[in-house]
Amino acid sequence: MSSDKDNKERIGKKMSRVYKITVKVKRFDPDTKKTWVEDYELEAGRILRFTDVFRKINNELDPSLAWNSSCEHGQCGSCAVRVNGKPLLACELLVENAINLFRTAVFTIEPLTIAPVVRDLIVDFDKAYERVNRAKPYLIDPSPIPEGESEYRISPRELERYVEATRCINCFCCAEACISSHKNFLGPNSLMASIVRLMDSREQAREERLELLYGEQGVYRCHTSMACSFVCPKEIDVAHFIALAKAGRFKAKGMK
Amino acid sequence: MGNTLRIGSTMNCDVLIIGAGGAGLRCAAAIFEKKPGTRIIALTKVSHPQKSHTVTAQGGMAAVDPRDPLDKPIYHMFDTWKGSDCTADQNIIKKIIDASWEQIAWLENHGMHFSRNENGRLSKRTFGGMTLNFGESSAMRAVFEADRTGKGIMDTVWGEAMKGGISFLNQSIATELIFRGDRCIGAIVFMEKEGEFAAILSKATVFATGGNGQVFRITTNCRQNTGDGLAVALQEGLPIMDPEAVQFHPTGIVGPGILASETLRSVGGILRNKDMERFMERYAPKMKELAPRDMVSRAIETEIREGRGILSPDHHIQHVWIDLRHLPDYVHEEQIPEVTSFFKKFVAIDPRKELCPVRPSNHYQMGGLPTNEFGEVQKTPQELIHGLFAVGECAAASFHGFNRLGSNSILELITMGRFVGERVVEYLEEPLDALPSGAGDRSSSQFSRFMEAKGKDSLGRIRDAMQAVMTEKVSVFRAEKGLLEAIEALQELKDRADRASLSSSSYTMNQELIQRWELDNLLRISMIIAQSALRRKESRGGHFREDFPERKDDFNYHTLASMSEYGKVRFGKRAIDMSLFESRGEHYEKFDMIERRY
Repeated sequence: MSSDKDNKERIGKKMSRVYKITVKVKRFDPDTKKTWVEDYELEAGRILRFTDVFRKINNELDPSLAWNSSCEHGQCGSCAVRVNGKPLLACELLVENAINLFRTAVFTIEPLTIAPVVRDLIVDFDKAYERVNRAKPYLIDPSPIPEGESEYRISPRELERYVEATRCINCFCCAEACISSHKNFLGPNSLMASIVRLMDSREQAREERLELLYGEQGVYRCHTSMACSFVCPKEIDVAHFIALAKAGRFKAKGMK
Repeated sequence: MGNTLRIGSTMNCDVLIIGAGGAGLRCAAAIFEKKPGTRIIALTKVSHPQKSHTVTAQGGMAAVDPRDPLDKPIYHMFDTWKGSDCTADQNIIKKIIDASWEQIAWLENHGMHFSRNENGRLSKRTFGGMTLNFGESSAMRAVFEADRTGKGIMDTVWGEAMKGGISFLNQSIATELIFRGDRCIGAIVFMEKEGEFAAILSKATVFATGGNGQVFRITTNCRQNTGDGLAVALQEGLPIMDPEAVQFHPTGIVGPGILASETLRSVGGILRNKDMERFMERYAPKMKELAPRDMVSRAIETEIREGRGILSPDHHIQHVWIDLRHLPDYVHEEQIPEVTSFFKKFVAIDPRKELCPVRPSNHYQMGGLPTNEFGEVQKTPQELIHGLFAVGECAAASFHGFNRLGSNSILELITMGRFVGERVVEYLEEPLDALPSGAGDRSSSQFSRFMEAKGKDSLGRIRDAMQAVMTEKVSVFRAEKGLLEAIEALQELKDRADRASLSSSSYTMNQELIQRWELDNLLRISMIIAQSALRRKESRGGHFREDFPERKDDFNYHTLASMSEYGKVRFGKRAIDMSLFESRGEHYEKFDMIERRY
C-alpha cells in the first residue's frame, strides 16, 4: 500500500522535529517578595505541551520553578497562564502550534492577574473562586419533584439553551481577558454560573439570582468586549449568556 | 523559617475529609443531609476541589433504571462479579447496585446536567461488559452527562458541600494520622501556601485520596495521583488490600496519556504495528480489535516487546497505531468527535488523514484501604480502626475485585460516599480528644530529612527511573524474574531518593518539597504493588503473570499487604464475600467462581 508508505515517511519527518525555544517566566518569591523574569532555553519536540515544557525545565534546568496543573488535558483549568499576553491553558498549547500562533520561538509566561500570586506561576485560586462562590454554583432552592417521578423532566431543547454554559471549568481565562475591572465586576465565569441556574427549570430562587445579576457587581459592569468568548479554552460563547441577561431575558417568574 | 517544622496551629472539627474529589464531597453532602451544621474540613492537594481527578471521567455511570422493562439489578451484579474475575465482594456488589438508581436521582435532583432523551428523561448508553440476562445481549445501563460525566458529579457534590457550609483547605496534604489507642482522632496536615504544619482534631477522619497512577510512565491519572493516602496508611502500619490489582487501558494517547475510548475500536478503528500489519488478527482472529481490554493490552505490549512498535520521538516511548482514516466523515463527526478532538489538540494529529499513536496506559487502582460495607477501615479482617474511613479509588470494599468495569467507578464514588457519610454521623456524639504529645514528630522529622539531604541526584530522574521500571516489569505483563529485578531497583531508588537534595530551603509553596514527599509515597506504593504481584503466582483480572497465566482457586482471596519498613512487606488474607452465592437465592449459581470468558 503506497499510501501507507507515504504516510510513514511523512509522519517520520513530521514527528522528529525539535525546536529551540526560549521561555521567559515571570517569577515571584513569597519569602523575599522579589519579582523577576527568568529565561530558560531548551529544545522541545513539536508536540510537547507547555505543561511538558515546564516539567522539562524542572527536570533539566531548574527544579524550583513552581507551576500549577492537574488533569493536563483541558478538563480542570488548573494550568491557566498568560503566554505572550494571551490567557490560555498550558496543557492545550503545543510547542509547534505556539510557534505558529505567536510567530516566534520566544515565549513570555506570566501568572494570571485575577488573584494574588503565591509563587511563580501559581496564583491563589481560593481568592479567585470567592466570586464564583458568591454566584452560588448550586440549586439554591430546588422546585418540588413532580408527583410520581423520581427525577425532573427536562427536554433536550430546553437543555440545549444552556448546556454550553455548564461546560465551564473555572479556569478564569475569561476573567483574565475581561476589560472590565476585576474589583467591581463578578466576572464572566461567575455570572455564567448563576445564569445557568436561572435557565435551569429546577431552580426556584430566581429573585435572589436576579438581584446578584443586576446588582452593583453584575452584568451592567460588562463592556461587551466579548474577550471572554474569544479566549475561552472550552469555546463557550460566554458573551452570549451575558447578553441574554443584559437583554432582560430573565424575569422573576417563568422565563420564556 | 527554621521554626515552621513544628505544629503551627491546631484546628478542631467534627469530620476531617482528606481529599475533596467526588467521593469525599459526596460523603460530606450525605453528612450535611443527616446532620446539618456538622463542622467538616475537607483537605485537597489541588488548588480547588473542582480540579480533582473525578472531573476527567468521561463516559457514564452504570445504574439500572427501575422503569427499564428489560434490565435488572441482578444482571448488573452478575456483570460486576464476572468482570471482577470473581474477586469482588458480593455484599458490596449488592449494596451498591441496589442503591444505584436512587443515587442517580439524587444527583439529578441536586442539579447535575444529565444528557436527556426526547421524553426529557435521562439518556442511556451501553459500555463493554454491560449485559442483559447474564451475558446474552448488550444492556443500555449507563447514564451520562455528554462526555463529561465526572465533571457533572464533581460540580454537583462541590455545590452541595458548599451549600452545607464545608470548610476547604486547598493545596494541603495530610502527612500523618493522629491516634489515641486504637482510635483515629485526626491528622497532621501541611498547608503548602503557608508552608506550615497544623494538627486537625476530628471525631471521624475520611480518606478519599484517590488513585496512584503516577507510579507508571503513561497514565490516564492526574499529576497529583501519587497514592498519598495509601502511603500514609502504610506508615501507620495499616494494610493495603489487593495492591497488585491495577487496570491498564489498552489505548491511551501517547504522551498525555489521555484515554482514547473503547468507542474508537467499536466504530471500526484498526490497530497496526510499525509494518502496518493488523496484528490483532494473530491474537484474536474472530474478535480482533473488539477483544476484551486486558487481551488487547497484552497484544499491544507483545508487539512492542518483539520490536514491532514505533518510538515516539517526542515522548520517547514505544507505541502502536490506531488507524481511523478509513472511517467515513459522519463517524468522525457524530460518533467520536471528542476523541478526534483530543488527538488534534494534544498530539496535533488529524485522525481522518493520519495514524494515531496509542499504547496501554495505566488507568485505575482496584485495590486500596480495606474497608467494610460502611467504609470503616480494617486493621485486620476482624478489627476496625475506630473513627477512620476510606472511600473512592483509595478504598477497597471491594466492589471491583481484580478488574473494574467501565462506568462502575463513579457509581462507587457516589453510593459509597453516601453510605460512609451516614455511618460517620454515628461518630459525632463522641467527644473531641486533645492532641497527644509526639503527634507530628514523624512528619517534621521526615520533612527535615528532605530539606537537609545533600546529595546531587535529581528528583525528576529518580521518578522517571521508577516509572520506567514499573512500566517495564510490573504493568501489563509480570513474571518472577522481572518482579525481583523491579524490587531490587526500587530499593536502590529509595536510597537515591533519600540522598537527593532540594534546590530551595523555603517552606512556602515549595513544589519541590511536595514532589519529594510524593516520590516517597510513589516508591512505597510501587514496592507494595511489586511484592504483592510477586506473591500472587496466578493470573487474575488486571494482574497477569506470564509464568502463571491461569487463575487458580488457591488464590481465591484478597491480598492484605503491610509495610512499616520500606521493602519489608508482611502479608495476610481476606476472604472474598460470596453472600449472593451462599444465599441460594434465584440465580445464585451465577455468583459461583465462574470462568471469565467473553
